Parts: sequence; C-alpha cells; structure tokens
Amino acid sequence: MRALLLLCCWLLSAPVMAGAPIVAAASSLQFALEAAAAQFTQQTGHALRLNFGSSGNFRRQIAQGAPFELFLSADEGFVQALYDEGHVDNTGVMYARGRLAWVQPAGRYSLPDEQAPLAGVQEAIAALEEGQRLRIAIASPEHASYGMVAREVLQKAGLWESSEALRVQGENVSQAMQFALSGEARGGLVAYSLAVAPALVGRSEAVLIPEAWHTPLRQRMVLMPQAGEVAHEFYAWLQQTDAKEIFQTYGFSTD
Amino acid sequence: MDSLANVGGRVGSNLTVDVYQAGPIPLKASFSCAPGELLALVGPSGSGKTTLLRTIAGLYQPKQGRVSGGGKEWFLAKGGQHHSLPPQARQIGMVFQDYALFPHLTAQQNVQLAMGHLPRAQRPAQAAQWLVNVRLQGLEARYPSELSGGQRQRVALARALAREPQALLLDEPFSAVDQVTRRRLQRELALLRQHISIPIILVTHDLEEATALADQICVLHNGVSLQQGTPEALFRRPATPLVARLLDRHNVFTGKVVETATGRRLQWGEWLLEVGDALAKGRLGETLSWYLPPSDIVLHRRERPSHGERENPVAATVSEMVVLGSMTSIVLRVSHGDMLRFDIATHAAKRNQLALGASVYVSLLAEGIHLMPTQADAHAPHNKRTLL
Amino acid sequence: MDWSAFSVSLRLAALTCLFLLPLGIWLGRLLATAQFRGKGLCEALIALPLVLPPTVLGFYLLQQFGRDAPLGGAWSALTGSGLNFTFSGILLASLIANLPFAIQPIQRAFEHVPANLREAAWCSGLSPWQTLWRIELPLVWPGILSAAALTFAHTLGEFGVILLVGGAIDGETRTLSIAIYDRVQAFDEQGAASMSALLLVISLATLGLVYGLAGKRRWARGQ
Repeated sequence: MRALLLLCCWLLSAPVMAGAPIVAAASSLQFALEAAAAQFTQQTGHALRLNFGSSGNFRRQIAQGAPFELFLSADEGFVQALYDEGHVDNTGVMYARGRLAWVQPAGRYSLPDEQAPLAGVQEAIAALEEGQRLRIAIASPEHASYGMVAREVLQKAGLWESSEALRVQGENVSQAMQFALSGEARGGLVAYSLAVAPALVGRSEAVLIPEAWHTPLRQRMVLMPQAGEVAHEFYAWLQQTDAKEIFQTYGFSTD
Repeated sequence: MDSLANVGGRVGSNLTVDVYQAGPIPLKASFSCAPGELLALVGPSGSGKTTLLRTIAGLYQPKQGRVSGGGKEWFLAKGGQHHSLPPQARQIGMVFQDYALFPHLTAQQNVQLAMGHLPRAQRPAQAAQWLVNVRLQGLEARYPSELSGGQRQRVALARALAREPQALLLDEPFSAVDQVTRRRLQRELALLRQHISIPIILVTHDLEEATALADQICVLHNGVSLQQGTPEALFRRPATPLVARLLDRHNVFTGKVVETATGRRLQWGEWLLEVGDALAKGRLGETLSWYLPPSDIVLHRRERPSHGERENPVAATVSEMVVLGSMTSIVLRVSHGDMLRFDIATHAAKRNQLALGASVYVSLLAEGIHLMPTQADAHAPHNKRTLL
Repeated sequence: MDWSAFSVSLRLAALTCLFLLPLGIWLGRLLATAQFRGKGLCEALIALPLVLPPTVLGFYLLQQFGRDAPLGGAWSALTGSGLNFTFSGILLASLIANLPFAIQPIQRAFEHVPANLREAAWCSGLSPWQTLWRIELPLVWPGILSAAALTFAHTLGEFGVILLVGGAIDGETRTLSIAIYDRVQAFDEQGAASMSALLLVISLATLGLVYGLAGKRRWARGQ
C-alpha cells in the first residue's frame, strides 16, 4: 500500500529539474556550450538545462511558445525574425562568429589544401563519374544556419548542382557531422567548432573555409521575455572573458 | 437428495407465456406449464423455440405479450404498458445448449456463483451438495476444460438448480453429447424431476426425447405455437395436417363426407370408411383431412380372421418392406395411390409371408381415425410473409 | 546515463497505461459487444495511429496544442500553461498515439468471450457489474495485460510525436528514446549505448512478464 502511494506521488510529482532554466542552443555549440555551462555551474552553483538542435527549429518552437529562457542561435537572422514577430523584446547580442569547415574522416583521404578547401567535393564529383558514390554531408539548408552557408559556398563555387546526387542532409549540424564521419562520406561542410571538440579531434580532419566565401555566421543570443535570474546571469557570463576563451578553444571567433 | 427440497419446496407457480410480434423474428405463441410439469417445445430449427426460451429468461423482449412465473409478472407489453424484469430478477435456472460454463472457474465455483441468494458462508457446502446430487462428487476442483461433455452438462444443471429457481429452462441440453451419455442424462433428468416441483421447459428438436420426458408438448412452427397437449393426445389427434407433419406422422389423407344407406361415411378413393361420431359434425360433401395412427392399422392374418376385421377392411399391395431389427416397417399402396405406413413385429411379417407386391387386407380402426380441417394450414403460415 | 530522461519515460509510460487501460476496457468491450452506426469509422479512427507516420500525428497535435488553437487555448485557460513543450502535452500525445495498442488487444479478448457466458451469468443472478468483474475481466485478463505491456513498451519507444510536440526539454519532455538520439548527436556513443541497453532490457522484461503470466492459467490449457 505504501509502495502504491509512493508510486502515485512519483507519477504526479513535478519534473525533477523544474526551475533550472532551459537554454536552447544551436548544434554547433554542442561541445562549447556544454563546457561553458559546466564552468558556469561550477562558479555560480546554478544548474542549466541545455537543448541542442538546429537554430531554425528552435526559432519555430519559440514562436509556438516553447518554455526556453535563453536562445543561442547560430546566426542573427532567426533572432531578428523573432524580434520582428514580437516574441522577444530585443535583438540580443552577438556572442561569437562561427566558422564553416570541410571535415573528413581522419586518415582516409588526402586533406584538401587551405587554398582549395573544396577539393574534396570536386574529387567526390569526379569519382561519381567513375561510378563511385562518396557522400558530401551538410546540415539542412532549410532551417540550420550551417546548412544555409554550406549551400551558399557550394553555389558560389558552382558545385551545388553537380554535387546534388552526393549530398546527404543532417537535421542539424551535429547530425551532418555524424554523416560526414561515416564510412560512406568523403566528408562534409560543417561547423568547425565540432571538428575541434576534444571528443572528435582524433576522428576527424578539418580545413577552414574562408569567411569571405559566405555570409558571416554572426552567432547571436537573446533572452526570452520569461527569462529568470539565472538565465540573465548566464547571458551576462557568456559575454565575459571566461566564456570567450572557451568559445575560442572551440574554434569560434569572438572579436 | 436432501437439498433438492430447496427447489420447489414451496408450492411453485405456473409459468405462462403469451407473446406476439410480427418481426424481426415472427412470434405468435402461447403455452403454459404447471409446477412439476415438463413442457417440451418442439419444432424444426428456426421455429422460434430458443427465442421463446430466451423470452422466458428475460434475454429477449418481444414486442407484445406477457410472461409470468413464480407468481409474478416477468414481462408485460400490452397497450401502453411495458415492464420487463431483467434476467437476474426472474429467478430462473437455465441450461444452455453448450452449457456456457465459466471456463476460469472450477465446477464448484461455477455452481457457487449462482448462489447469490444464500449467505456467503453456506455457499461452499451447498455447492458441493449440488455436485453430489448430480453425481459429480470428487470433481469439484476440476475446470470445465477438464470435464467430459456429460460432466459439463451436469455442472450446468447443478448451476441452474443451485439458484433455487422458479422455472428450469433447458435449451437442447442433450444435443452436445454422444448417444450413450444422452440416454443416461435423460434418465437422470427423469429421476430428478420427481424431486422438484417447478415448471420445466425443455427445448428440443428430438421428438423421441420429447415423448419420453415431457408431460406436455407444444409444437412450434415459424414462431407460432400450433398445439399443446400430452404426447399421447398429440400423436393421436394432431390439430392440423401441419402438426401431424411436424410430429413426423404419416398416414395423413383426405376424404369426402358422404351419406349412405347405413349412415355417414368418409369416402377415401373407392373405400367408404366408417368413422366415429366426429363425422356427424362435417358438412355433407366437405373434403376433410384425416389421420390414422399406425397402431390402428390391423393387418389381416392369412390363416384365421381376428376380431375387428369387420371394421373398414381395405385391400392393398405391399410396396415397401424394411426390416429394422425386431420391427419391420411396411408401406402399403391402396388402389387410388395413397400409401399406408405402419410397423409390425418382424416375426409377424414372416408368419404372414409378407413380400413386396403381395396383396393383403388391413382394417383401419374407426376409433383411431382422426378428422382434421383441410384448410387448417391457412392460419399456420409456411412463410413469414403471411404472418406479417 | 540520463536518469531524468529515464524518469520522464517511466512516468509517461505509467501514466499512459493508467489513463488508457480503463478507457480500453470500456471501449474494447463496447466495440466487441455492441452494434451501432459509425462503428467502422470509430474502429478506423482508433487504428489510425498504427499506420499514420508519427510526424503526421505530431504535426497535427502541434497545431492543435498551440495557444491559438481551440484545444491548446482551452487547456491554457484551464491550467495556465500550454500543451506544447510540456509534460501534459506529451502525455496527451502519448494517449492518442497509444489508442490502438490499448484498445485493440482488449477488444479482441472481449470478442472471444462467448455472448452466452454473459447471459449465463445474468441467469445465475449476477448483475452486469458483477458479470464484468467476476466473469468477463478474468477472461479478458490476458488481453488487458498485453494491452498494458504494448502501451508501456510503445510509450518508452515513442519518438517522433514526442519530439515534435515535446521539444526534448530536459526533465520535462526529454524521454529516454529522445535522450538516446541526443546522445548520438553529441557523439556520446557510450551514453547512447547504455541507455539503449536499458530500454532493451525493460521492453524485453515487460513482454516476457506478459507472456509468462498468460501461460500460467491452468483452465485455459487443452483448449
């Protein structure tokens, strides 16, 4: 009987982590923000709940009333849109600039030169004519910021149409990274921040795409109207030196 | 059988049924059954037997009519009135055709379940006693799936009686067992009956069973009750040719009422038959159906005439002879084509040197000739449309 | 191991069973025993989540759960919080997605109870409620058990619908199966592997329990 009572209490209990603010963050921040949040928690004692996904997806969920308190987008367009629609009170601040990179599985293919970082794509297209299909991974150009710039880069290089049969799309840039490192892929155009993460550094090789080749990935964050004290504190903390150092470690520019 | 005193320990009440509806199942039936009496509802399949039984139980509600039993009105639908007691309140014991035992309960639990009217503490002992009454001691803890067909039927009967019902309803209770078991169960039912004084309704399509077990038989056809009476009365004097046919009676013919110098006669082909007083009621020249029980056909013996031969002697030829063990079934053809059927002992057939094609004389006993209206079939429709 | 996701999953599965089983018994019995107009449509609607892609169901629910939609609006007027991205929301979604798993096995079980057993119970003096408790429920017990197991296991595994309406919020709507997906995304194969193993063991244990219990009924043997 007592066990039954306990069971009922548990079933009806409030969620375990209720109270800790939910931070929605672009997938490119998967490792950087985990490290930043860990340090923040260590310094302040405040817990955070992190949700990673594509920026476009979070932008939609926020418009639908998702209970996030802070949104770290991979570009500023989504933040601007939320502001224009009245879902946020201001346009927030830019916290980092993201870099797109060509990433491929470690030690399998020759790494393209920094001057011609798209050589891998060209090789894969050439290989297709010989009947060998090596995939090129990108994030969804529909709603993921890194996907959008990847498309831009390929379009400018005149490789968009010819690479069509080879492209695989991740739902967000983390998944695109998974695809890029899978056995079927020649590589992918993904966030540099993922390639330099300690968890993956041994498994991947990366070469940066020049920033001039695409619209800058001005990563902007914004507080939601319902943001509480902790969220405000974290928002401020992310703009300080400790956070900037972490972002730089993960390949972001913060100048 | 001490506890049998519970059933009908009081003086039971009549069960009477009088229901009518045009559809969807056409019904036009009335019959009654006295306490301690067994009434068999017989008729071909689709004649409404089971529907009537379900009507009594409260599992089916016809559009009009009344059903009363246990001194109460169980069902009434007449004019603006409508009231119907649910099955739970009717206090009936029902044995279903496939017994409908609860598969997850043991034999004893099955019986015990029907004892809601008793204090909880009395139920186990009483249920065990019921199983003893139906000779199932030792099998109390068996599940239905662990019992034979005959044993299941007994559990079903014990369960029906355990309710101490005001009426016992049996829906073809012997149809699902082999013949040896059936005979034994029928015998047991006959024995059991001596101890219970409530109306018992037996639905069956087996005429032999009905004859053997029932005090009264009610013949049904297309939902219509055609005739109720003792088996003897029914078999000797069916109300209509249809009843005769449903009761599997042969020897139904038609004849014409004529006047002769020696009195009224029934003209049947070339023969002028003497009939009892009944003929006086017929109109002269009217065509009547008549029926003769096979027992009233007397074969003339070759060597010496017997008494009764003066009555309605008829010449015929043997057209069919089938030996069925100690009895021989004979079909005689009379000159105008009608066939007379009867059975005689096989040794008698031998002694009389009966053979196919042989010419014989028989007497049709005047007392046995039963007259029926030829038009009688009109009120007993053969199809549902005439009823509607 | 993400224990908060595990707790969310267990609570979601337990509550889904708790709400759906009584409904399944009522509706399953109704569908098995009654004849009424629109019964076919009713059965089709119940079966729909079986064939509908979870994303389609999730999409419609997402729309209906919004504060501007009638359902979401009524809910937020009633409780003060929306349905999207909340535990109540994924519970409601899970209730809808699991309708066929909760109802169909129970309906099949009721269909296998001969009608005359019910009538025999009434004739034995049992009220409709007593008939349900003492005759019908014991007979359909295996159906109820398998409905519970299917609903429980399916809720633990549900992904698409929950992801769409829940938004994977830690401690609230991030279930074990979504946490596994997130761990894979975060290149944490170790975490994904241990959670997957846990889910596998629970599902197997649930189903094993059901089949084990169902085989224990002595009265059903030899039939």
